[in-house]
Amino acid sequence: MNTKTLAYILKRIGLAILTVWVVITVTFFVMHAVPGGPFLSEKSPSPAVRAALEAKYGLDKPRFEQYTTYLNDILHLDFGPSIKQRGQQVSTIIMDGMKVSVKLGVIAAGCALACGVVLGAVAALRRNKLIDRIIMVVTTAFVSMPSFIMGSLLLVVFVVKLQLLPGNGSAQSGPAGLVLPIITLALYPMAYITRLTRSSMLDVLGQDYIRTARAKGVSGRRIIFGHALKNSLIPVITYVGPMLAYIVTGSLVVEKIFAVAGVGRAFVNSIINRDYPLVMGTTIVLAVLIVVMNLLSDILYKVVDPRISFD
Amino acid sequence: MKKFLSLLLAMAMVLSLAACGSGDKPTESTAPDASKAPSESSAPAGATSMAVCIASEPDTIDPALNSAVDGATLVSHLFSGLAKWSQDDSGNLIIVADAAAELPEGVVNEDGTVTYTYTLKDGVTWSDGQAVTAADFVFAWNRAASPELGADYGYMFEVVDGYAAMNEMTPVLDENGEPKKDEETGDPVMEIANPDAVLNVKAVDDKTLEVTLANAVAYWNELLAFPTYFPVREDVVSNEAWATDPSTYVSNGAYTMTGWDHNSVITLEKNEHFHDADEILMDKIEFYLSDDANNMLTNFQNGSWLLIDDVPTNEIANLKQSDPEQFVVAGQIGTYYACWNINQEILPAGSNLTGVEAEKARQEIRSAISLLLDRNYIVEDIAQGGQVPASSFVAMGMTEPDGKQFYQNTGVSADFDGYYNVSADALESNYASAVETLKKYYTFDEASQKFTDFPTITYLYNTGSGHEAIGQYIQAAVSSVGINVNMDNQEWNTFLNTRKNGDYGIARNGWLADYNDPICFLDMWVSGSGNNDIQYGKGAHKDLAMYSLDLTGLGYEDIKVENGTWAQTYDVLISTIKACTDNEVRYQLMHIAEDMLMDTGCIIPLYFYTDIYMLNSSVDGFFSNPLGYKYFMYCTVNG
Repeated sequence: MNTKTLAYILKRIGLAILTVWVVITVTFFVMHAVPGGPFLSEKSPSPAVRAALEAKYGLDKPRFEQYTTYLNDILHLDFGPSIKQRGQQVSTIIMDGMKVSVKLGVIAAGCALACGVVLGAVAALRRNKLIDRIIMVVTTAFVSMPSFIMGSLLLVVFVVKLQLLPGNGSAQSGPAGLVLPIITLALYPMAYITRLTRSSMLDVLGQDYIRTARAKGVSGRRIIFGHALKNSLIPVITYVGPMLAYIVTGSLVVEKIFAVAGVGRAFVNSIINRDYPLVMGTTIVLAVLIVVMNLLSDILYKVVDPRISFD
Repeated sequence: MKKFLSLLLAMAMVLSLAACGSGDKPTESTAPDASKAPSESSAPAGATSMAVCIASEPDTIDPALNSAVDGATLVSHLFSGLAKWSQDDSGNLIIVADAAAELPEGVVNEDGTVTYTYTLKDGVTWSDGQAVTAADFVFAWNRAASPELGADYGYMFEVVDGYAAMNEMTPVLDENGEPKKDEETGDPVMEIANPDAVLNVKAVDDKTLEVTLANAVAYWNELLAFPTYFPVREDVVSNEAWATDPSTYVSNGAYTMTGWDHNSVITLEKNEHFHDADEILMDKIEFYLSDDANNMLTNFQNGSWLLIDDVPTNEIANLKQSDPEQFVVAGQIGTYYACWNINQEILPAGSNLTGVEAEKARQEIRSAISLLLDRNYIVEDIAQGGQVPASSFVAMGMTEPDGKQFYQNTGVSADFDGYYNVSADALESNYASAVETLKKYYTFDEASQKFTDFPTITYLYNTGSGHEAIGQYIQAAVSSVGINVNMDNQEWNTFLNTRKNGDYGIARNGWLADYNDPICFLDMWVSGSGNNDIQYGKGAHKDLAMYSLDLTGLGYEDIKVENGTWAQTYDVLISTIKACTDNEVRYQLMHIAEDMLMDTGCIIPLYFYTDIYMLNSSVDGFFSNPLGYKYFMYCTVNG
């Protein structure tokens, strides 16, 4: 690794930290500006109780002091306790949710990758044939459809009409309950990967070295698996990071639709409850996830394709 | 070479992910126990375990902190207070002694306070084997009532002597001895006046507990059966996370928590050390955690869950028809209503009425608008859950000392209950009389049969299809006489904030009782109450001297106010009720309070809540109380 590369990476890490700080700051102040608060309920607490609770969670301090205190805690990786789920630490709630979300995300990403690469390769090799056309039309539809529409659509078809699968992704439905959320999560990246693989494969198939290989009489199978596929996967690999981040964060809506107890649902509920520490915790974790994935993907891109310059 | 290696690495990543995708799926059984358990529990005749679903993951199952009905059900199985809910031989609900040997009468002291002395039964132990002592109760009650803990239901100890001192606030003084003001809002900064104050509760010895109430309270025994009054042990709760994990959850009730798979299932197993263990028939209860009504119904219908506490609204009509035996509509003490902001101007733009005169007109107008609504339609076509059309604020289910229903004793008319006739027959005459009243204040266009100068008002409601449908019905109903209503939908927390601050015209509202005494519906409307959403005695209404209160006939020679403000009348009335020890007089006073509320026209009662659930017909011995708590300990399951 040369100094230029190192400088680039350091610069990117610096930028990543800055991004996360901006996210923390904006979320913190916007969150407090939203009407309502964690101690509001149908039956409101007495002023004494309110005062005691605000003191307990440091909400009686001036806003800026709360902010600096929070930043300091975060630097010590202390997310604090949840206000609504008394006795629970924010970190525990996030970890519990992450276990579910990551499992869901990794399976979805795996499915998306496996299907996407195969479909993309098939489409490229059968360029302009019927199968290519079909794949392209279908993937265009999947790429342009937001997950909440896809999720609702799948619910209507598989749960309401066909009654094949449970529409509930909580633990009680067992593995079958996860099928629909996984499909919902996987369809967009799968379609995207298909298109990526196809165009990149076509690009590679037109390269001189492939023509040379053909001219040398290398078998079609070897050309495809030995040369073309390998090189055409470069853009796909770099997409894996952002895709994982997209899936885990994007599961927010999907988890709500299918009642999956993941970090996305914890996030949505924390906002509804104005559970400030949990709102901050989940936001930070999700932001860090995206930033890190993007960073890794950029670095990986350079590593697998030396033609890309770090300037 | 480097490129080849990275590619290899990348391919390996791709393949392993793909492998996860296909390989992991079959084993992907997320909490395998959860998926298998239901089938076990739907098992054979005489099964001594059952699976039920009452709600999703509870926020807390710390008895002091819990304020939810589902949490209360769990806590009632896990803890044993001085008293408990039970059924007598004919199936009526009664309060009986639990950890206490008996529930004695209180002794009235010279200063009007009342002292109760309880003796704990022999053999009352914690689930770890230690004995439950009177000191545990003293600790638990002081903990639950303390502002520091900040329990939602801390105010349930309001009746105990010493509570007022614990919750007294005093202004913070700055260096000059002046009250300190909040920099942002300008409000005086307050702090707790007596941080060391405690409740008047004493452990005389290990087995004897002495508690003094500020005055006699009719529902005291019921409070003893309320989860907030259950004991906890100091060394256990010193760990703040004690109530989140079975390994640290030490309780003293019929069951112990043996498993909590978060967001999935909570498992309770019979506590063999429980002092009444012989009475407990159900060995194991699994509380599945879900808030998805469709999921609940699926699991109920395939026999996995024997009770579900929610059903999808669009299935209610169908289930009532197809499965009347298992579809249960139980009473629940609560009222669904719409409330006016008392300071909302509704007189026409050119009206020359001001002050008291204007408010008297508004009272009449608001009451008239309430008569325009068809509550039977709301109940039968929108809510659909067997709710009862309401015309009073204090809910059905509140009983008077003679056993009669409070809402049937308003004394307005012998022909109907409550404050006006909400039967289907009365709809037309209600409507006509409402229009007549409104004609006094607004311009009526005979051609269109509509009022032309009623200002547009806003109906505030929180997100939820039921609330929206009811709001839309109200909008449609009043538009038939030319009153325009805008709908304002807000997310729950924002909604609460807006309503509390009085930034609305009419708002959706609802109130569920905490105990069987009408005071819990009435004391929320005193000027200083945090739940006074209507804004009685606040803003412009604060200075309107137009209310009268004459209690001389009830033995209160010094309480006679004519044309007083809300604070001078209603607030005084409520404190009189709270200090009143003569139960008969007390109920008369509470009727006067409700009359005052209903006269303002600010409360538009719509229906009394019901608790809908489905109970498998193989279950015997189940009961629930009017607060909605469900009791499974005496259940048996037959084949």
